Amino acid sequence: MWNERMEERIRQRVATALWIGIALFVVLSARLWYLSVLRGEWFRERSERNRVRVVFLEALRGNIYDRRGVCLAEDVPRFRLVFLVGSSEEELVMKRVREVLGRDITFSLRERAPGELVLLEDLSLEDVVKIEENSERLPGVLVEVYPARKYRDGEIAALLLGYVGKVSSEELKALGKMGYRNEDRIGKSGVESFYESLLRGEEGYRRVEVDALGRVVQVLDFRSPRFRYSLQLALDWELQKACYEALGRRNGVVLVGDPATGEILAFVSKPSFDPNLFSRGLSLKEWLDLLEQKSNPLLARPTQALYPPGSLFKILIALAALEEQVVTSRESFFCPGYLEYGDRKYLCWRRGGHGRVTFEEAIAESCNVVFYTLGLRLGPERIARYARMFGFGQDAHLDLPGVKTGFFPTPEWKREALKEAWYPGDTVNLSIGQGYLLVTPLEMYLFLCAVANRGKVYDPHVLWRVLDENGRVVREVKPSLRRTIALRSQTWDTVIRGMEKVVTQGTGFNCRGLPVKLAAKTGTAQNPHGKEHSWFGGFFPSDRPKFVFLVLVEHGGDGSGEAALVARKVVEWILQNRGV
Amino acid sequence: MMRREYLFVLVTLCLCILGIVAVYSVDPLRDEGFGPKSFFGRQILWNVVGWALFLLFRFFDFQWLFRRSWLWYLLSVFSLGAVLVFGESDETGAKRWLFSRSVQPSEFAKLALLFFLSSYLSTNRDELDFWSLLVKSAFFAAVPALLVFLQPDLGTVLVLGVLWFGALFLGGWHRRKLGLLLGLVASLSPLSWFIMKDYQRKRVLAFLDPWQDPLGSGYNVVQSQIAIGSGGVLGQGWLSGKQTQLRFLPARYTDFIFAAFCEQFGFVGGMVLLTLFILFFWIVLETAQRVRNLEERFFASLFGILFLFQVGINVGMNLGIAPVTGIPLPFVSYGGSSLLVHLAGAGMIARLIWRTEQEERERWI
Repeated sequence: MWNERMEERIRQRVATALWIGIALFVVLSARLWYLSVLRGEWFRERSERNRVRVVFLEALRGNIYDRRGVCLAEDVPRFRLVFLVGSSEEELVMKRVREVLGRDITFSLRERAPGELVLLEDLSLEDVVKIEENSERLPGVLVEVYPARKYRDGEIAALLLGYVGKVSSEELKALGKMGYRNEDRIGKSGVESFYESLLRGEEGYRRVEVDALGRVVQVLDFRSPRFRYSLQLALDWELQKACYEALGRRNGVVLVGDPATGEILAFVSKPSFDPNLFSRGLSLKEWLDLLEQKSNPLLARPTQALYPPGSLFKILIALAALEEQVVTSRESFFCPGYLEYGDRKYLCWRRGGHGRVTFEEAIAESCNVVFYTLGLRLGPERIARYARMFGFGQDAHLDLPGVKTGFFPTPEWKREALKEAWYPGDTVNLSIGQGYLLVTPLEMYLFLCAVANRGKVYDPHVLWRVLDENGRVVREVKPSLRRTIALRSQTWDTVIRGMEKVVTQGTGFNCRGLPVKLAAKTGTAQNPHGKEHSWFGGFFPSDRPKFVFLVLVEHGGDGSGEAALVARKVVEWILQNRGV
Repeated sequence: MMRREYLFVLVTLCLCILGIVAVYSVDPLRDEGFGPKSFFGRQILWNVVGWALFLLFRFFDFQWLFRRSWLWYLLSVFSLGAVLVFGESDETGAKRWLFSRSVQPSEFAKLALLFFLSSYLSTNRDELDFWSLLVKSAFFAAVPALLVFLQPDLGTVLVLGVLWFGALFLGGWHRRKLGLLLGLVASLSPLSWFIMKDYQRKRVLAFLDPWQDPLGSGYNVVQSQIAIGSGGVLGQGWLSGKQTQLRFLPARYTDFIFAAFCEQFGFVGGMVLLTLFILFFWIVLETAQRVRNLEERFFASLFGILFLFQVGINVGMNLGIAPVTGIPLPFVSYGGSSLLVHLAGAGMIARLIWRTEQEERERWI
């Protein structure tokens, strides 16, 4: 069987094998050429992405100080655990983290960026040490420092300062071009929101080279995050605190400011909330709880809630009536306890009537009958003109977000909106600040400022100074005159005298006996949902006013009671601690 | 006319030196210097032993190896059995080692089967091209293959299978029979899916589309291609490939050493390696053509095919055009058993070169 032919065939087969080998060589070389020469650039990029990881370090926010330098909001360092996906098994790492920390933990497992999973936030220093000690066993797990917002005594100024939270997807859409990232913090309300552009700092980054286990081999490049500006508010923190405490368990508003500059010194809104909760991340349940509370702690009452001004509005009527000379300061009135007009009887708050009263006494006693009369003499158009002159229903130009304007009813409005004529009864109601009229506490405060300043109204402002990184003042908010209401000086004198009498002999008896000349007015806002809201607002010293204050106590009854008591505490605190 | 042997020794030496260079570059312990614990230190040690074997077979006749091929065959089957009983597992859980992970009997089984088949087929040369011999030889090849399969070491099973098929091919079996055989294997191979282990299935899927799961089962293939690709034309330089040095590349000492090499020395370096491989293969087959003795011709050409197949599969998987199987790159991959086997074989080839040259010269004279 074995033969030459077979011998030859074997020879051929070996030759074939040789050709197969050469073919293989060509194929392998071609592939090598393709990978390293043709697509080398692409693969080098992949390799680069393999080894270089850019960790963005969240921007710091500027601090917020009060006018005396007390720090109200600052960034403090917190620690979180980040896991680089792919460097090892997720389950295993979580098991080991539990072992290392020695307790059962629920992981948040939030995907921050592709391939980066946040395992835990707000770690204690103790836990950080444990993790660092065991880093060999935890491949791909990094401890990261991040800034968290901390507010001094959170609740006291929460509705002024606001709070920060993670940027929402809608905000991201709107602000995407400004360099916000998925995980960034953004001011959500109050000063934090209004001055976001100043408070927001610059983000930093760390470009690191990591090995296959995600361990950092070396830091290639680093830029620390920083803030650019800090804010110094006009706010007086101690005063703010005193005002907050003066309200006690009551809900309501206290505003204090300097009429000559427009500076807001205290901005209290109660109930409040703790903005620190938002810094550590609110659970859905906590958030819903806040939203669903009937008292609505997220509402900035001074600028966002609407109330009828009640008798505080009588000051406007008094000013208008004097200026329009429908009354003189010497005129006297008789109050039988009611006013008959047409076929209706309008009651005074004192059923027995005030008897014979002078104009100034009418202010002091807040006599309804007198103001019904004056209102009817003026007529709704003239009242509306004066209200507009004083800025009712107009933008307050306050540096806070979401400031609402009140509502001032006019005959045209009623005709158009309600398809009804304006009745004298409407004028009567308007004259004592009831009916359709609604104001924000801020508007009332600004009105009092106008009176205190005898017609000169400055824009109210929360911000005082902008400081740079080194604490140098780069900008200062100067008083900016909004409007001058030119009334005759007798008009101002008479009304202010009337307001002084409110304290010395009228409804403001709860503020009697203070060692300063105080001009004020009580008010009672009718409230269809329960007990009336109690107003008390004024200024002192009345001859050269340095402080304007406004107090609103929700469900506080009439203004001579609760609100005046709160105001007394505030005025006493100022006299004791700040002087006039 | 002694040039061919010099060239052969030079090629083999170059491959070994490049192997040491490559192993050194991926050695995590290289900073501790040369020592018995470092990978490159051991690789040098194995080279010394290997080259001793090379010289031994170069200067002493190895005909007796063919005469006792049954013995080698039985020894290898026996040691493969011992691996299954006493063997030690490695990281993947496969039992492949004897003597505290120093000896890998499956490497020696390759050489034993090579001798056995060369000797068996040439003794039965009159029955070549008969079905009965095909079945018998298939049986003899299947025994060690099955034992290796149980370890499991799919790569070596493949190598043993190729050895057997190569023997039939070189033995001059008729094309139709080989075609039938190939057709049978091809039609049955999908069935192997059902006896594969999970990790093996994943490897097959990863081969088909590695970028499907680049961090999971496709990781090896992807990282290896990234390493080769990022090497570019001239490479990133010795000891400075990021893929290799930062350990993204898996099995850098063994299966994926080609990729580690290419990342450092680029397309040019890769081509140097490939050229050395093809030169080696070419000289071996050339020698096979010149050898007059049938069993030596079988031996030489089968050794060539064994070498080619291993290089092809290993480099192919590094380049992402062959599935990932644990086949080392001859002479270059870290590992004593493979190196000894291949250097011993190369020594025998060198002797054959020397002898054929002498015979030719005698004839010339």
